[in-house]
Amino acid sequence: MIYTKKSPALFIIGIIMLAIWFTADSGMLASYIEHLGGKKYKYLGELTSIPLYFGILSVAVGLWQWFGKHTEGHWDYYSSTVAGAMFILLIAMLVRWFVAPEVAVISTGMGKVGNTGSYIHKLLGLNYVVIGIVAGIVIVNVFKVPEWAQNGVRVSRLGLKTGVILLGTLYSAAELKNLGGLSIVMIGFFVLGSVGLVLWIGARMKIPNSMGGVLSAGMGVCGVSATVAAAPVVQAKSVEIAYTIGTILLWGVGCMFVFPIIGNLLGMSHVQFGAWAGTGILNSAQVAGAALAFQPDGIETLKVAEIFNITRVLVLPIIVLWLAVWYVKREEHATQVNVGKVIFEKFPVFVLGFILMFALSTTGMFAPANHYKGKFFGNTAESGFKESKLLKSDQIAILQQEMGKVQRADRKEAVQRLIDNGKVMSISDDDAIRGLVNAKVVSKEANGILKAAHKAVRHTAKKIKAFRKWITWLFAFGLVGLGMQITFSSMRQAGGQPAVIGGIVGFLKAILSLIVVMMLVAETI
Amino acid sequence: MNRSKHVLLPSHGTVGAQAAESVAIELCAEDAKIHHLVVVPDLWKGMMGDDWLNNGVTRDRYARYLETELGREVEEHCERVRSKAKEKGVHYSCEIVLGKPDECLIEACMETDYDLVVMGSPRPKGTPGLRSRMATKSLTQALSSPLLTVPYPDG
Repeated sequence: MIYTKKSPALFIIGIIMLAIWFTADSGMLASYIEHLGGKKYKYLGELTSIPLYFGILSVAVGLWQWFGKHTEGHWDYYSSTVAGAMFILLIAMLVRWFVAPEVAVISTGMGKVGNTGSYIHKLLGLNYVVIGIVAGIVIVNVFKVPEWAQNGVRVSRLGLKTGVILLGTLYSAAELKNLGGLSIVMIGFFVLGSVGLVLWIGARMKIPNSMGGVLSAGMGVCGVSATVAAAPVVQAKSVEIAYTIGTILLWGVGCMFVFPIIGNLLGMSHVQFGAWAGTGILNSAQVAGAALAFQPDGIETLKVAEIFNITRVLVLPIIVLWLAVWYVKREEHATQVNVGKVIFEKFPVFVLGFILMFALSTTGMFAPANHYKGKFFGNTAESGFKESKLLKSDQIAILQQEMGKVQRADRKEAVQRLIDNGKVMSISDDDAIRGLVNAKVVSKEANGILKAAHKAVRHTAKKIKAFRKWITWLFAFGLVGLGMQITFSSMRQAGGQPAVIGGIVGFLKAILSLIVVMMLVAETI
Repeated sequence: MNRSKHVLLPSHGTVGAQAAESVAIELCAEDAKIHHLVVVPDLWKGMMGDDWLNNGVTRDRYARYLETELGREVEEHCERVRSKAKEKGVHYSCEIVLGKPDECLIEACMETDYDLVVMGSPRPKGTPGLRSRMATKSLTQALSSPLLTVPYPDG
């Protein structure tokens, strides 16, 4: 079978991308960009680069697909995915650069909502991630994914997995240790709790063991992914699979919209929201969606949520094994389980990539070894300090005048060293000066000088900055593509006893994990 | 009443469709032909959902398992109707298609002329089962053959 379609679609996608680049680069879009926020519009840099590269690629591959000769083989299959992948990317571009900013403009124009102090789009988390997923859902359900794009839509999973692997570069060892510990406790408690609860309620309601097994995996571990992993092991009937997946998708999509709203209303921190979404949302795809919906312009929440997702997927083989043993004990005709095979087959290989990137990051390959979240201290020319940033004599005079107001010895000494050398001399001095700025002890003018001195010695690692950008795009790409795999017909299957049990367990999990997070999880890690 | 020489029995495995089986065979004349159109609803295409955490081996295993399950159910279904038809001396033929139930039925009727199409009733509200309708408004408007809808079985 030849998979590559002889279609002009990819070529047209390339032309659209190039048109976006040309109109942005030539200034033809200037008035529209002014309308979308002018100087506040953050995507001009992306608009004048990304569509050019991918546009050229799409036009070149598109011409070959359209007019070239295709033969069966691996190359044909890989080539057939390009059109769908570029289709998803184009949707993600349009949503991120135009649709989401337009929604923000309209929402801002409508004013703040009641006494919440927020605009509708902020309150509802209507940013490029959520709108992108909705766009995917609309495309598959209303227009259908075109045949030439179907193979490529599956590539979205690869985007998400690559995003998670690259995320490994952004954690410090302390962060990973603290988040890992927190996620093991939270996931351990809530996964085991909800698997056990589903099995218990299922036994009370006398549902078949196969249904209890598949539903408990889906409700307890990571939603659809767990259902896919557990269904063959507990020999679930087709209708039981349909009920379970329908229930989980319905819950997951609902939670993706509701969780960010609640998070915003409760003023949750990135860590708290990431931990809550990572525990309370049933389906792993919507965990990432909710995290990016809560914090679209940063990835701190995503970093927390993905650690929870990774913990879930690492727990998955164990739960599948448990359910397999549980099922075999209860069903006469059940097939015996090969423990080693289950663990080996279900092991998520991409997690090894994440660990590898984290390990490489700790060697200082992507940023100096002392970096924290990609930022590092450096007060020498080799480490990025610019001589032009040395304090000027008038600035030194202002600081000397203000010295009397500084009470704490460590801050006083740090400022003195700053005055003597014209630049911040150590990380501890930098911390003390930042503390002084936040305490607002000195005048506004002196505070400005201290802030500038702090900025002069804090640098962002270029590679980490690039990784952040790539991660944002990979997740946006992946989530639009996953949106194209959520069909209304599968969600409509939510019903029967699984919907009742799923509703109870899903609701309890969301509420209890929220309470635990608000009571026990600190605002920062 | 038993004059139908060529009957189409469309079905997608629901309880309502099963009720139509007996009626369809009952309505066939001796030596008549019954064509059993089994539609596997395309909702199954979306049953991998938005899974992205599993590896290829797990996904393939699931897809094969689901295909086997659906295949087994369809096979049981066809076998049941086949044996009922045999008892009555009716010639049985079977066709399995994947798609939207109503669209598949319309297409089948456009390809071949049938004396009668016999189908089941939609599931009453609150009754468990897959949500996939064959009896739609567009179907009744588009069918060229006479259509008999068998009432949903009691209890």
